[in-house]
Amino acid sequence: MSFFLESLVSAVRLVRTLDPELLTIVRVSLTVSYLATICAAIVGIPAGFAIAYGNLPGKRALITILNTLLALPTVVIGLFVYTFLSRRGIFGPLDLLYTQEAMIIGQFLLIVPQITALTIAAVSRVDTRYRKTAQTLGANTWQTALVVLREGRFGIAAAVISAFGRVISEIGISMMLGGNIKGFTRTMTTAMALEYDKGSFILAVALGLVLMTLSLGMNILFNLIQGKNVR
Amino acid sequence: MMLYTLTDVTQRYNQRTVLDIEHLEIEEGRIYSLLGPNGAGKSTLLNILGFLEAPTTGRLIFHGQPVESSRTAMLQLRRQVVLMDQHPIMFSTTACNNIEYGLKIRKMGKSSRQRVVDEVLETVGLRQFKFAAAHELSGGETQRLALARALALGPRVLLCDEPTASVDAENQAVISVLLQQINATRGTTIIFTTHDRLQAASLAQQTLVLENGRLAATTYENSYTCSLTLEKNSHLRCILHNKVEIPLAIRSSELPQPTFNRRIYIDPEQITLHRAANQQQFKQGVTGTIVLIMAEGGKIRVVVNIGVLMVVLMDRASYQQEQPAIGEKVLLLFEAATVTLLDTTTT
Repeated sequence: MSFFLESLVSAVRLVRTLDPELLTIVRVSLTVSYLATICAAIVGIPAGFAIAYGNLPGKRALITILNTLLALPTVVIGLFVYTFLSRRGIFGPLDLLYTQEAMIIGQFLLIVPQITALTIAAVSRVDTRYRKTAQTLGANTWQTALVVLREGRFGIAAAVISAFGRVISEIGISMMLGGNIKGFTRTMTTAMALEYDKGSFILAVALGLVLMTLSLGMNILFNLIQGKNVR
Repeated sequence: MMLYTLTDVTQRYNQRTVLDIEHLEIEEGRIYSLLGPNGAGKSTLLNILGFLEAPTTGRLIFHGQPVESSRTAMLQLRRQVVLMDQHPIMFSTTACNNIEYGLKIRKMGKSSRQRVVDEVLETVGLRQFKFAAAHELSGGETQRLALARALALGPRVLLCDEPTASVDAENQAVISVLLQQINATRGTTIIFTTHDRLQAASLAQQTLVLENGRLAATTYENSYTCSLTLEKNSHLRCILHNKVEIPLAIRSSELPQPTFNRRIYIDPEQITLHRAANQQQFKQGVTGTIVLIMAEGGKIRVVVNIGVLMVVLMDRASYQQEQPAIGEKVLLLFEAATVTLLDTTTT
């Protein structure tokens, strides 16, 4: 117990003193996760909206596939992307392996299905009367679609936030595609795994605290958005 | 001037015909009520009149011009007509923004928009709710806000799907007055659906009745679903709601289709009412209890519970002679020939 408390106190001190190594790790984590989430939102929101709003053939099959992809383990995606980015892979010459870009690609693939599926759910929940109301008030096809999108905005925002929560806390992709290079591709989760392997818990606990704080912040934001949606 | 002319208009969903109108003309500047039971096709007709959906077949003329089903043509026409839903839904923003939505689409300037918003909110008596969240308004206020949102666009036609069905009596009266006022001051053609025959009679200048998708030449009341049973001598017995037997003049061989669930109509003016004291002399007829008596124009409307509610329209002389009272048991007589089998079937 005293070992845990000592580690915790030292970790809090590390956070309070804004340790440069800790800050670098947090910065890398946030940069990679933010960029992956933004890219996935750019692709996933329009895709999810088009699937939910339009009358695409094979819509049900598409939703089933997306829902299946939600359960895809991060190491599978890491392995999959690795085969493309490694020197023997078709994108090997681009020299992307063990870079932040590779991590962003992997994380992007991880959460695109999530954002798409949750956008579908959010748009499908929008009352069908909104579409009819917009039309009768004179809206054209695009303006009507925009109304539906706007009414589903809280659900869509929640989808993006939950996707960010997924990538910030994943380890498989970051480890396999980033390589855990200090100051460059070392993220909070890969650093924690490394510190654990070394038997050095202070930095690991400090990173855990930061990660938990970020998760708490995300959840508070998520609840605020959900609450606004209910009202 | 005729605003709408519908000729041989049908609407089918999955091979099921939900609307089949041979000919219908709607005159500009008048108030029409659309009566009919659930599933009669009222909402479908409103959607077609509101250019929200194109009919499967048939010809629709609006303001002298044939209606094309192209997206652009429908959009242009839709901007002259507004449909108000039975349960209107408000965009999740303020009342003001809700009203402004259609005006923004029409590219109206901000100052003009504000003037229109103030004007219509004043008309419907919701000025104090201008910046209130539209979702937080009560049912009656929402209905009035929906009316304001429609009015702001100055539509040529206002279509209302049961505008007073889901509001309290006070708001019902307010909305009815508003509809009349809009028609009188702006010349807006109003077509509203209702189940309330009295509201239809008091508000509309003309009443249309739909029965299973077709325009019916009845007054909607005294239209019932009944089951027909075949007797040995090929006579048909007509049982209403498994309770009341109605005499029929028609034989089974005269039925166009061998269906035994039909709708019948009994003209309220062809029914005679007799008080219990006089019942001995009659062997036939149906008995019931009077639940409502009211004056309606030159006639007296008497509603009798015979297991279902049946309306009798008595002239004043007959009323004076019989002097029926609420709660009294009475006998209703009508000729079998006056029972009309409606040209619709439900199998």
